[in-house]
Amino acid sequence: MKGFKPSAPILLLLPAFVVLAAVVLVPLLLSLYSSFTPFRLTRPETFFVLIGFRNYILILSNPDFWWAFGRTVLLLTIALNLEMLLGLGLAMLVEKATRGQRILRTLMMFPMMFSPILVGFQFKFMFNDNIGLVNNALQSLGITQDAIPWLIESHLAFTAITIAEVWSSTSIFAILILAGLLAMPKEPIEAARVDGCTPWQTFRYVTWPFVMPFAYIAMTIRSLDVARAYDIVKIMTDGGPAGRTELLWTLVGRTAYSDARMGLANAMAYFSILLSIAFTVYFYNKLAAARAQIGAEW
Amino acid sequence: MDENASARLARRALTVAHRVGLFLAMLLICLPGIWIVLSSLRPTVEIMAKPPVWIPQELSFDAYVAMFSGIGKGGIPVLDYFRNSLIISVTSTVIAVAIGMAGGYAFARYRFRGKSGMFLGLMLTRTVPGIAMSLPLFFVYARLGIIDTHFGMILAYVALNIPFTIWLIDGFFRQVPKDLAEAAQIDGCTRWQAFWQVEFPLARPGIASAAIFAFLTCWNEFALASQLTRSVNSKTLPVGLLDYTAEFTIDWRGMCALAVVMIIPALTLTYIVQKHLVGGLTSGAVKG
Repeated sequence: MKGFKPSAPILLLLPAFVVLAAVVLVPLLLSLYSSFTPFRLTRPETFFVLIGFRNYILILSNPDFWWAFGRTVLLLTIALNLEMLLGLGLAMLVEKATRGQRILRTLMMFPMMFSPILVGFQFKFMFNDNIGLVNNALQSLGITQDAIPWLIESHLAFTAITIAEVWSSTSIFAILILAGLLAMPKEPIEAARVDGCTPWQTFRYVTWPFVMPFAYIAMTIRSLDVARAYDIVKIMTDGGPAGRTELLWTLVGRTAYSDARMGLANAMAYFSILLSIAFTVYFYNKLAAARAQIGAEW
Repeated sequence: MDENASARLARRALTVAHRVGLFLAMLLICLPGIWIVLSSLRPTVEIMAKPPVWIPQELSFDAYVAMFSGIGKGGIPVLDYFRNSLIISVTSTVIAVAIGMAGGYAFARYRFRGKSGMFLGLMLTRTVPGIAMSLPLFFVYARLGIIDTHFGMILAYVALNIPFTIWLIDGFFRQVPKDLAEAAQIDGCTRWQAFWQVEFPLARPGIASAAIFAFLTCWNEFALASQLTRSVNSKTLPVGLLDYTAEFTIDWRGMCALAVVMIIPALTLTYIVQKHLVGGLTSGAVKG
């Protein structure tokens, strides 16, 4: 029995590793290789021509790529921070509610059920300059007479995309932070109040440190899935107008399937993968740190 | 006396402010969904009307009837899509949960070398964006001839779901005290029996919610499905939404109707799962 034990976890993990190796690792290695070739889907023979780092040099010297890269980082930064703040606010509102907690919690999770592509269509519909809910409301309320060209003017389009992204993902933050608030022991808050802390101080020095790991869990989960934004952007603007809302992922998709330049697209894809990994590892480490802090305090 | 009154007033004002804030927040969250349901019931003329018609004049289920009435009558093969979605999602969920249970159990119950590194490594496989994943998969699948098949989609979705399923199930097994299984083993159960008789029943609600979460991921996935499916053989509902778009126009009413059909199963499942889901996510990550 004792000699068998060490191999048991490996045995149990084996199926997971086999599937992931077959579906993720091997294709990724393949795409790594093809990022060094001028591979085009229409010309299979190009798969075997090695061109060294030319694809990488090509994209690194391409301003469109850097714009897309910068825009992606900007979108993620704005969206994640907003989601965190709004999620915190929402969770605290719901936690304070004395009645109807269960219904409120379900309503709060409502956007999580929407497929990202559905979110895209839904907001494309609502931000439509002619028949969209947003413009209709603004015009009916007499705030503006013109049809505001959401999705057509580049800054507005970026705003609209951010709103859609924030709407669809805030609930993940809210639900996890709510879990943190509910799990929090009540004594430290009471102690802080007795000691004369203002509500803000109580929040800042008692509640927040406790809730922080939960916020980082949410960040980690979200960063595993940051590319959800692809679906939304693809549907809402498809990178338009004139590439002004192009993100890394839509650029990859366009290069690969519209231009059929697989090698080049794979080189770009590697950048977006590195970006995702960087985000995930960063938050994972933050999570570990916050967890250690809590463990020491509670 | 005066101070009392003003304090009471302040508290009442705060309560009202809280109610209003909560109401506004919930309204913002639900509005897009309500709008979709409403639009699916209104005639296209009303959706397109300028100036807008705020109060619906007539509601009908025409869009739903048209959608299910098949190709050529203004419908799309929605039943095929629905069936594909269901087959692919359910099968890959079952497989992912089986594999995830083995993996999660290993992480929760055993100590071995390189454990946390392995855990992070598993998670990282999930970070590969769907669109980046779809390029090499498309190529490999094309070579193997499994593009546009259920098998191909199921395989991809199993891999997509394994990391997260392992994370969740690991958390739920951690909540089950180790002593219970050990006690069962002392009483003469084998490890295998102890697992099925003691630990599995206790972790079952959590595993069920991990399953529902995996199901929702498959049900909603688009980036991979849009590249790896071609026809009614394997197209799923999210890809089917695109059938309502033409080059420059979109049939908003039909699309809203299909959206409602897509959301209803997701809504039901999420309602069932909501309580356990959060527990699993946080316990695994905080106590780990």
